[in-house]
Amino acid sequence: MTFWDSLIYDLFPLIWSGMITGCLYALGALGLVMIFKCSKVVNFSHGNVAGLTAFLVYGLSSGMLMSLSWGAAVLLAMLAAVAIAFLIYSIISPVVFESDLTSTIATLGFGLIAQGVTLLVFGADIVALDLPIPRFAMSVLGLLVTGYDLTVLVIAIITIGALFIVIDYTKLGIAFRAISSNPFAAEVCGLNLKSVHYFAWISAAILGVIGALLIVPTTFLSVTTVATFMLQAFAAAVIGGFASLPGALVGGVLIGILMNLFTFYVSPEYSSTFLLGVILVALNIFPNGILQKVGGTRV
Amino acid sequence: MSDQATSLTAAPSATQRLASLASAGAITVALTAVLIVLPFLLGGSWTFTLGLCFANSIGVLAVSLLVRYGGEVSIGHTFFTALGAYSVGVLDAGYGISLWASVPLALLLGVVFGIVFAWPSRNLHGIYLAVTTLALALAVPEMINNLDALTGGYEGLYVATPLIPGLDMGLQRYYVALVMLVAVCLAVARLRLSRQGIALLLAKTHPAAADAFGTRRVWARLSILAISGGIGALCGATLAFSGSTVSPGGFTFWQAIFLLVGSVVSFYGLSMPRVLLGGAFVTLVPQLLSSSGAWIPVLYGLALLGMILLGHYLPRIRKALNRSSEAA
Repeated sequence: MTFWDSLIYDLFPLIWSGMITGCLYALGALGLVMIFKCSKVVNFSHGNVAGLTAFLVYGLSSGMLMSLSWGAAVLLAMLAAVAIAFLIYSIISPVVFESDLTSTIATLGFGLIAQGVTLLVFGADIVALDLPIPRFAMSVLGLLVTGYDLTVLVIAIITIGALFIVIDYTKLGIAFRAISSNPFAAEVCGLNLKSVHYFAWISAAILGVIGALLIVPTTFLSVTTVATFMLQAFAAAVIGGFASLPGALVGGVLIGILMNLFTFYVSPEYSSTFLLGVILVALNIFPNGILQKVGGTRV
Repeated sequence: MSDQATSLTAAPSATQRLASLASAGAITVALTAVLIVLPFLLGGSWTFTLGLCFANSIGVLAVSLLVRYGGEVSIGHTFFTALGAYSVGVLDAGYGISLWASVPLALLLGVVFGIVFAWPSRNLHGIYLAVTTLALALAVPEMINNLDALTGGYEGLYVATPLIPGLDMGLQRYYVALVMLVAVCLAVARLRLSRQGIALLLAKTHPAAADAFGTRRVWARLSILAISGGIGALCGATLAFSGSTVSPGGFTFWQAIFLLVGSVVSFYGLSMPRVLLGGAFVTLVPQLLSSSGAWIPVLYGLALLGMILLGHYLPRIRKALNRSSEAA
């Protein structure tokens, strides 16, 4: 009886809450994968820039910089994120076509700058940034489902659905897929690589802001919160194969659930070590991501 | 580039190369001579800082070596520096054993764990390996804190046993770091001429040719990570001795990025002056900006970007200048 009790009272809630955070990891991972798919750059500044914009929302809505309504603050922060993504890509684009590894290191530089700017403007304090959602909780089949859970789920589904519709059905999406699978042929056919890269970088920035705003209510906002959160997103992207959008989604949910189970059943103190282990195992067993057949090598 | 095992472009004549090598050697010797007399001209705090500078230079060298001989970027070298630093720290604080035993242990651990990490990641290249080293860097502070019975947890360890009893400790901290740096630089210079070094360069630039000549890619990867890990551990050991304390704060994820920044700032150089430039950048910038901490990441980021863009545009600018001077 105790086994079944623990299954119902521990395991299911753990899987549920893991899935919720997993959706957020997936939002972060999707941004990383979008950028990687077309420009072959791993954007290490993703977390720090998203963190900066989350602070911007706080600063604009709390009266620290301005006292706007929450919606207006989010809109301005989104615009700022788009501008930052535009700026970053504009600066590194000459390097992108030369060496993907060098441009990846360059994004580390932007990450450092974004972190420094956050520290300079907002200081090292810890602040609370909540979502303007009604507080309620209900019990479904023994699961405690809160308003926050539902908000995250709905927003994640809408965002990811919109992204997939854009990529599958619009001209921009077709150009994105063409450039991802064969940049040379796409350029010969008259596509502008840079403008599609801009599309990927900007949509990744927007995904990052959404992910950051949704993850912050579960903890608090400090200089490192969002950057740490994005590291799980990195793991999710790696598990998904780094070049597959559905893979990133599955990887995100998987990482969310696995991390939750590990911290509960084994130890919360070794979570980063566990993440390292998961990445190494996943890369050795599924070198092309969990959604692809094993076979062929990655060079 | 000197890290090209074979070159199809016209090579500079042998005498020219010898001359440039000799002048580079002379600069290194002169620099070493200056550094040997420097503690007698400077105050104690500068001597201490320079010791840390040398230690960080070794770490920068370990990262650059991996780039130059392995073609891979590591954001996780704090794992190896932590290994080295804690071998010195634990042997010293726990058992009172000095560097004579702990430095060989650090080197051994660095090499062994370099292989231990290289084996599961042997098939990963480029950004995949970079992300894996990132995960490695993140796991380091956690491991240190959780092994607090051994490592002293947050509080860390204090290294006080002198290498040669009776000598002034401040001077020992300086000269040990200098000797380590010179020794590592000499070893790396020897590696370039050795059979192993040439095999590694061939495996990096022409993997298929290296395969045909019997250097397998997995072997190349294991050996370069073992060498780089060993040097990283020596950096940690030197940091522990010259910095006198070992604590988790010295092996954070940011520290790992800073080592990479130092490596980029020195243009992945392996010669002593270049490595010292990277090490000095990593050590001195936080010291000079200690009053305004938030500027440190900004400055590091700008330096990183500046060097990368410089590396991108400099050859073009030089070419354009050459063309205009020819036209004139």
